[in-house]
Amino acid sequence: MHISTAHHKTNALQRYLRIAQLRRSLPLYILLAPFLGLFALFVLWPISNSFYLSFTEYNGIRSPAFVGLQNYMRLAEDARFITALGNTTTYVLLVVTLNTSIGLLLALSLRRQTVVNQICRVLFFLPAVTSAVAMNVLWRWIFSGEDYGLGNTIRGFLGLPPVTFLADTSWTMPILVLMALWGGLGFTMILFLAGLQSIPASLHEAAAIDGASERQRFWYITLPLLRPTLLYVVITGLVTAFQVFEAVYIVFRSVESIGGVLDSGLMLVPYLYDRGFNRFDLGYASAIAWVLFAIIFVLTLANLYVGRERNA
Amino acid sequence: MVGSKQSHLSSTLLSLPVYVLALTMLIPYYWMVSGAFKPVPELVQNPPTFIVESPTFNNFYDPVGNTQPGHVEGLFQRFTDAPLRFGTFFLNSVVISSAITILSLLIASATAFVLAKYRLPGGNILFIIILASMMVPWQVMFIPNFLTIRDLGWINTYWALIIPALPKAFVVFFLRQYMLSIPDELIDAGRIDGANDIRIWWQLVLPLVGPALAAMAIFVVINEWNNFVWPLIVVQDTAHATLPLALARLNSTLTGPQTMGVIMAGAFLASLPTLLVFLIFQRQFIEGVALTGVKG
Repeated sequence: MHISTAHHKTNALQRYLRIAQLRRSLPLYILLAPFLGLFALFVLWPISNSFYLSFTEYNGIRSPAFVGLQNYMRLAEDARFITALGNTTTYVLLVVTLNTSIGLLLALSLRRQTVVNQICRVLFFLPAVTSAVAMNVLWRWIFSGEDYGLGNTIRGFLGLPPVTFLADTSWTMPILVLMALWGGLGFTMILFLAGLQSIPASLHEAAAIDGASERQRFWYITLPLLRPTLLYVVITGLVTAFQVFEAVYIVFRSVESIGGVLDSGLMLVPYLYDRGFNRFDLGYASAIAWVLFAIIFVLTLANLYVGRERNA
Repeated sequence: MVGSKQSHLSSTLLSLPVYVLALTMLIPYYWMVSGAFKPVPELVQNPPTFIVESPTFNNFYDPVGNTQPGHVEGLFQRFTDAPLRFGTFFLNSVVISSAITILSLLIASATAFVLAKYRLPGGNILFIIILASMMVPWQVMFIPNFLTIRDLGWINTYWALIIPALPKAFVVFFLRQYMLSIPDELIDAGRIDGANDIRIWWQLVLPLVGPALAAMAIFVVINEWNNFVWPLIVVQDTAHATLPLALARLNSTLTGPQTMGVIMAGAFLASLPTLLVFLIFQRQFIEGVALTGVKG
């Protein structure tokens, strides 16, 4: 009897405290609600729904029919998907390697704060703030197959015959890589410049006094201390390059194929778009999206593993 | 001393190719701008003119129109089904990218504030979920999001362009990291003065994180202004098209060199605002990018 009253009392007290607590935290839930609601509806729900759709056959009209792993098995035999995967791999390797190394070189040579260097940094960074579509319609004109396209005019200056850049499959990859470098170098350079600035100058001075050459200082001081920046540049570079879309869609899309002549510029995301929104094969397109996610995920983890801090 | 001077000279020499490369970055821009002001005969000329001989505004608006050879309809004479012709897309892009920037920063900063400064049950798990969602590329989400928008009846509306773009996990993450450095005493002082948490967020915290908000605003506004894929999927009419979408449509309907000037005029107008904003706020821009790189 006595015990049960006490129990009853603590229960009421607890309830009271819980309500008071809730009332006190109400403003917090009001602050959280708008973001979390939208986040649930437009980020969390689509992630799970897309995962489900990737195991279905779905044309957007009739309700999705569960087909198990069939979409993923179809991918393994889909020649266009394999082309897209191959092209994307080549593209990513070229773009990430060149972009990272040239971006680092630019940062190293423009690291001193002079007026000329600052102007150069601005020039390299301009494409990062320019509309990708605007740049791509421009590239399409520059690489026009006609003699008066700027690309062919420059070839003319060098005494080379004109080529039909966009219709010649051997030019597809070089043009795509060139566009990506032109568009991405400035961003990479700025990240490296920030990384370089965070290295204390005293380290270099001390090494110089100890007689370390400029090259030695680069390999034994600059590069190891740049590791976090390098890791960030490579990971963001990989993620961006794997998602290339506009360059293919605007510059190379031809009437019969989204990937340019003979699919020479077909990449994963343009193919996903083609499957999803031209043919309304939404289950299959979702499967492509999850393969893309898996590739990006594994590569990011691999990079983090390779680039992890080692205790000396 | 001598050694350092020598290395100075050699590094300047080594920098020379970099300076030349920096200048070549401008060539495409020059080609775009000069193309936008070239009359039709100069556009089809071989070899092309490098300095525009008779600059003209005809690619924007040609009073002669299609009636005479050597003339085509200008940019602002096309898109007759949009209320303000090409101006519509400009207005749409301004409205959509500013609405997304303001609203997404507002809701993200509120969530970031709670996550940084309060211990709510499940708060840590929530933060980890938000963080993990940044790993998922948007391609995974855009098919279901398209279906949601379609089921809401939002195809060809501003809602479709604005609402799904509002929850930005990266902005929450970035602002939370920044807000961790605000001393708790400041927030306690606010509470003792009788301010509730919403007022503390609005009047105390937001002014303190100005630089972080500015960095994120720049980042979001540029991305949204240039966004192409999402409008491509949810806008099929002309009235709600954004600049990149209208430009892409122009590019796929107009072929041949005569109309290249019109496309260049469109590209010029679409890229001018972000370039101007960048040139004005250069330092904040570059610091912002560096900041996201260091924190991210």
